[in-house]
Amino acid sequence: MSIITVRNLRKEFKVSKHHRGMMGTLRNLTTREFTLVKAVDNIDFTIARGELVGYLGPNGAGKSTTIKMLTGLLTPTGGEVVVNGRVPHQQRQLYVQRIGAVFGQRTTLWWDLPVIESLELLRHIYRVPPDRYRQNLHEFTSLLEMESFLNTPVRSLSLGQRMRADICAALLHDPDLLFLDEPTIGLDVVAKERIREFVRHINSARGVTILLTTHDMADVERLCSRVMIIDHGRLLYDGRLQTLQDRFGGKRELVVDFAEPYPEVTVPGATLTHYHDLRATYEFERQTISASELIGLLSTQYRIRDLSVREPDIEGTIRRIYQEGLLTGDA
Amino acid sequence: MTFHSTTGRIARCPSQYLYPTMRLFWEFTVRSFQRHLTYRAAAVAGLVTNFFFGILRVSVLLAILGEQESIEGYGRAELFTYMALTQAIITYLSLFGWYDLMNAVHSGEIATDLLKPMGFVSFWLARDVGRAAVALLLRGVVIMALYSLFFDMVHPTSVAQVTAVAVSLILALLISFGFRFLLNLSAFWSPNARGIGRFGFTISWFFSGFLMPLAFFPAWVQQIAYLTPFPYALNVIVEIYTGQLTGPALWQTLCIQLLWGLLLFTLAHVTLRTAVKRLVILGG
Repeated sequence: MSIITVRNLRKEFKVSKHHRGMMGTLRNLTTREFTLVKAVDNIDFTIARGELVGYLGPNGAGKSTTIKMLTGLLTPTGGEVVVNGRVPHQQRQLYVQRIGAVFGQRTTLWWDLPVIESLELLRHIYRVPPDRYRQNLHEFTSLLEMESFLNTPVRSLSLGQRMRADICAALLHDPDLLFLDEPTIGLDVVAKERIREFVRHINSARGVTILLTTHDMADVERLCSRVMIIDHGRLLYDGRLQTLQDRFGGKRELVVDFAEPYPEVTVPGATLTHYHDLRATYEFERQTISASELIGLLSTQYRIRDLSVREPDIEGTIRRIYQEGLLTGDA
Repeated sequence: MTFHSTTGRIARCPSQYLYPTMRLFWEFTVRSFQRHLTYRAAAVAGLVTNFFFGILRVSVLLAILGEQESIEGYGRAELFTYMALTQAIITYLSLFGWYDLMNAVHSGEIATDLLKPMGFVSFWLARDVGRAAVALLLRGVVIMALYSLFFDMVHPTSVAQVTAVAVSLILALLISFGFRFLLNLSAFWSPNARGIGRFGFTISWFFSGFLMPLAFFPAWVQQIAYLTPFPYALNVIVEIYTGQLTGPALWQTLCIQLLWGLLLFTLAHVTLRTAVKRLVILGG
């Protein structure tokens, strides 16, 4: 059963044209010219309850605009959005009662209040029953290791602490759906990992549906089996991350350590890129030869001490997709 | 477990049986009150400026009065009272400008407020009530007390009159809030709405009777002024306090205050709905 249904969703912005120079300034005063920007251009998708979906795209692709429409902050120019049985921008107050949102770049908490005071206020805002509130607070504060800074004003928190507090704040009222917008932005490796762990936990243990936007491919790799990619306002891809990798991932690499030196180590189907000091590196493509075939071929001819297969990284794949417009043809 | 010890610090509402909405309103008001209480140094500085600014204003009025006993019901004592009251009310009603909502719209902070299941206008009103309460205590009461020491003033003579002043002050805050909220909503239409804001506040000084008691103006100006909500936020408080408004006229005035308050509050709701539809949140 789907929790998010989006049909032909569009959002256009009017951006006023500015002319430069003396005459330009006069023209700005006398005429108002607009360019129409299609931030989101006819997108369709559904998300089922309990899914954890990554929503990717370069800056200015239309990601944030989509999220703002899904959360009810923006009114679509056209199309249909139904989330959790409601139309977000029409039934804002009822709708937001059942969702949570974390925007990595800004906080939901009150700047000059201690964290716990903000959480208490949220309890009143969402009318969380006291018992449920205590339970959730207990669970989240221990999982996110928040005890040490519960009484610190939000303005004095480190970025990692603030993010954890924000994530906790977004979940106290047991939302069905959580929007995470760059929840790991600017954090160190350990802090990122802690947040990912937690996100995975609430998705699997509590069944909270999560829509994650991020520029961090490690987030995507660890958390999302399904990704959607948007660029220039159009949904370019919606499917498994692995499929994307299989289709557009760069070449795979096989690194082989031979047991003894061989003058000639080339094999059909793979390109030898390095060979030095008993160690050879081959590049090969999934479509041409599989890793096991390649290993089989090599081991019949040579004595091999050790080997490893390196998958192309997702970061590189996504970068190539954005830069080279690999998906634009088949959207 | 840390949270058990901290829940005891939550502000207790006077009754356990109030509706959750009232409770939420109360929680916001209390926190806003506490927050504004912390700016003590600024409060003292403001107080000193406020005190001397009032003396400057009243000397102009005394010059106008000259050798006459009184003008339009305002003698020396009434003028001092007028000056003290209007000075005391400046921060209570944010007469010199209030741009918090405008700033929240321009910075995009408003997004996180809109994502919470609460009445947006009520939420801002609750915060404003907390702010105004601090202003009334730290500024209003202190200024009135200070001026009473130095000048001959007219004070309410009965409990009923004191009550009428209190009610009138509360209704004035509602009117003032509605006006300020609406003025701030212009931020949704213009990325540089401060100019609109300043214009609005200047207009309000004139028509509210802050520049000079409205009684000093020609009848036609007064007639125009009383078609606007502004005199009901300031001028009438002075007239009730000094005893110029009594009996049926007083009741009528309080009713009109209430009507203006409700009207502006409703208008704020309706305009907000239109405003949110054209919301463009920048960044993020």
